[in-house]
Amino acid sequence: MSASALSAADRRRPWLLLAPSLITLFLLMILPIGIMTIFSFYEFVTAGVEKETFTTANWHEFLTDPFYHMFLWKTIRVSAITAILCAVMGYPAAYCIAMTTYKHKWVLLLLLIVPFWISFTIRTFSWIHILGEQGAINVSLLKLGLISEPLPMLYTEGAVIMGMIHFLLPYMILNVYVAIEGIDRNLISAARTLGCTAWQAFYEVVLPLSLPGLMAGLLLCFVLAAGSYVTPQILGSTRDALFGNIIFDTIMGELNWPMGSTLSLVLLIFLGAVAAVYSRYMGLSRVFKGLGG
Amino acid sequence: MSLDTSTRGFGWRAVQVFTVLVYIFMFAPILVVIVLSFNASQFGGFPMTGFSLHWYAKLLENESVLRAFQTSLWVAVVTSVVCTVLGILAAVALVRYEFPGKEWVNTILIAPALVPETVLGVGLLLLIRFAHQPRTLWLLVLGHIMLALPYVVLVVQARLIGVKRVYEDAAMSLGANRFQTFREITLPLIMPAIVASVLLVFTISFDNITASMFWRPSGVETMPTEILSMLKISISPEINALGTLMIVVTVGLPLLGGGLARYLARSAR
Amino acid sequence: MKLTTTKRLERLTERYMNGGLDRRSFLGLAAAAAATAGVSMRWMPSALAAATEVRFDGWGGVVQEAIDKYAFQPYTAKTGNKVTQGTFGDESEIITKVKTATPGEYQIIHSSGVEYYKRYVDGGFNSEINEANIPNMKFVMQAMIDPFLKITPKLSGVPYDYGTTGIAYNTTVISEAEAKEKGAALLFDPKYKGKIGGYGDMATRVWYAALATGQNPNDIKDIDAVWAKVRENRDLVKKYWSSGAELMDLLAKGEIVVTDAWSGRVAALQQQGSPIGYLDPAGSYAWMEDMLILKGSPMAECEELVNFMLDPATAIAVAEGQNYPPSLDPMKVKLTEKIAKMPAFDPTGTMKSLTFADPNYWASNLDAWTKQWDRISKGG
Repeated sequence: MSASALSAADRRRPWLLLAPSLITLFLLMILPIGIMTIFSFYEFVTAGVEKETFTTANWHEFLTDPFYHMFLWKTIRVSAITAILCAVMGYPAAYCIAMTTYKHKWVLLLLLIVPFWISFTIRTFSWIHILGEQGAINVSLLKLGLISEPLPMLYTEGAVIMGMIHFLLPYMILNVYVAIEGIDRNLISAARTLGCTAWQAFYEVVLPLSLPGLMAGLLLCFVLAAGSYVTPQILGSTRDALFGNIIFDTIMGELNWPMGSTLSLVLLIFLGAVAAVYSRYMGLSRVFKGLGG
Repeated sequence: MSLDTSTRGFGWRAVQVFTVLVYIFMFAPILVVIVLSFNASQFGGFPMTGFSLHWYAKLLENESVLRAFQTSLWVAVVTSVVCTVLGILAAVALVRYEFPGKEWVNTILIAPALVPETVLGVGLLLLIRFAHQPRTLWLLVLGHIMLALPYVVLVVQARLIGVKRVYEDAAMSLGANRFQTFREITLPLIMPAIVASVLLVFTISFDNITASMFWRPSGVETMPTEILSMLKISISPEINALGTLMIVVTVGLPLLGGGLARYLARSAR
Repeated sequence: MKLTTTKRLERLTERYMNGGLDRRSFLGLAAAAAATAGVSMRWMPSALAAATEVRFDGWGGVVQEAIDKYAFQPYTAKTGNKVTQGTFGDESEIITKVKTATPGEYQIIHSSGVEYYKRYVDGGFNSEINEANIPNMKFVMQAMIDPFLKITPKLSGVPYDYGTTGIAYNTTVISEAEAKEKGAALLFDPKYKGKIGGYGDMATRVWYAALATGQNPNDIKDIDAVWAKVRENRDLVKKYWSSGAELMDLLAKGEIVVTDAWSGRVAALQQQGSPIGYLDPAGSYAWMEDMLILKGSPMAECEELVNFMLDPATAIAVAEGQNYPPSLDPMKVKLTEKIAKMPAFDPTGTMKSLTFADPNYWASNLDAWTKQWDRISKGG
């Protein structure tokens, strides 16, 4: 239908349909980010009180204080490790599920989806029962006589990473699975017919074609890990806090709204930059596809 | 499928074993929680001193847990209904219409899923502070609607694309107006997506913690924030019992639903 | 991904729709699922509307259970007024909540000391109690009432109990002799690295670091030395606990073997049979707790509750239950053996032997020290 054939009512209609959603998102997401920017220039007086002036003190503090830089770096490092480990663990699993000739493949997929249904909080704290001094690992090792004292595994950075991998792995596996599943099987048979070994077929055909899915998974895992604060709170000591924890404590604990706004913007800008770089090279459509299953 | 399994050697075996290990990694902690919920010991961890349902009983007497459950339930139901309606309208607009700025609209609608939840949490809190408003339960509902909207839009969109326009055009040429067409033709055809959306939004809202920790009014706990509070106190077996109950409900219900649907389909033949 | 569950559901539902399950049955199923999810539950969460409900926020765990059992339940039985309870682990946390709440949302707080009282007053959250409604106040030690009067001539809270933060240690790992010899230095002893705990609150950390550097916690001359000590402690600590119940949990499970600890909680652990010893080193941090009534509360009902709680029989029962000596004057009220044996108990009723925090000193340094402690706790 050409534009001229559309009546005024027709032209208005999509906007009417979109209005409630767009208004909601404008008020709850776009406007707040604008307000956040304004607040980042306010002056902090004491807990819960700020002066509505214009000062760059908060930004200055962020840019000069090594405390924040240390935290940003720690967050990047931990998130990157988490994302990479998710890829290492998730890729072979996704490959196996996609390529299996098992009759009841749907069982495998169902088992993969079930953890999504379980509350995130429960999945996270369940690690206390694995890594704690009275957890499964320590108790088993003690019983077997392999150690005489329980190993301190909980409330460490490793525990936080474990918890985050546990939560993010299904995202990675599903992204990679969808990518591998979408590869034309004929390509693989063609490679085999031409004399490739199974490994070569994988390396030359499957891996490159599944790379977009892998990258999407890596981005998703990285972004979700970098913004989290609940997992470090539950599984880590106070030293294993991430940038999200600093934001949470600054706002909810110190009631320092200006600084908290500044830090939130920093996180937003940083992760936005990561996504933008990714989008430039890989395009975001695949990530949307991954979100949409 | 033309994959010749006889040529699968050691490499494939290794991958299979690895995958099994990954599945164990995913499920072991959950199984441990379920097992430990029956622990008679007063401490949450191992060793199991006995089998007891004591903690489930204690849970049912726990007023704050019951209150938190009620709150979460109410918020999730309201969110599901409103968010699904908003999402359906938006999806229809995106699929059935062309208009300038469509790319931007699409991006905005998906944005809440991409912006870090912590940032969204702080943002909304700042908004009400700016407006000198207190935190209320409605704020929590609005926030959850924002968080879940992208998912509804994507799901309904995906389904709606598959519904041929021809049916709607046919109905309209037969004299039905747009609303009737939507109600009689489109709606039934996208019903699976709607049901799926409702369930999805319900889960997202019920389970939400990162943003809810910022938004919840003082003195109000949702189920996940209540669990977090309980964790700060101690790792009591009561938490394990609560965890197990939630696992049973969140896993059992959909499986039950799916199983029932299958059974009914079979017997309907 | 959550969305693929819907994809699955979609595929499932599609299959069954094509396979003969008509729309009605499917919707019926969905409705049934919703019904089982709790249609039987009340539709809206109830609000604290009725004036015959009083809200109390306390420290949770065994302490609050004792107050509930010996005070709130009898009170509800007698007057019909309900007491809605909340808990917190750290008074800064509840103060923050009070700051962001509307007046009347929080009513009675089991507040932990004169230094905290000042914070509420500075924030304008104090009320004015009609002492005529609390006749049982005559049994309270004057020595406990005076510090509060100094801050507000009209009381907003009534002293209820007191306790100390001393050192708790696992007797199977650390002998009593070693504990007596090292005292507070145990918290900084590299021998127990990874098995040390501590309260995550700034005041306790600074207090003990000040003691460790030989300074008076109410008049610290070299704060940098104190921060250095705090960092030292942080590197040895396994976990900073954030509530009394967590403290008890960590000690009982043996996750930590030495920590600064609240006298009452340790007493409770000992009564449960855990091998935990307790000592109050010189200059140990003592606190006077009060039942603080906030501005905007239903005053008559709150005063009635507090008066009920101060009744000697009730106060003694609560004290024995929570293991903290009551604010009752031992010279005026006969207290029991069990109370006399409690750590921190002062038989003279003058509070002279205990070291309390100077409210003005601590209030003036609050913001700066809290920020610094936050950083150090995170590794700064």
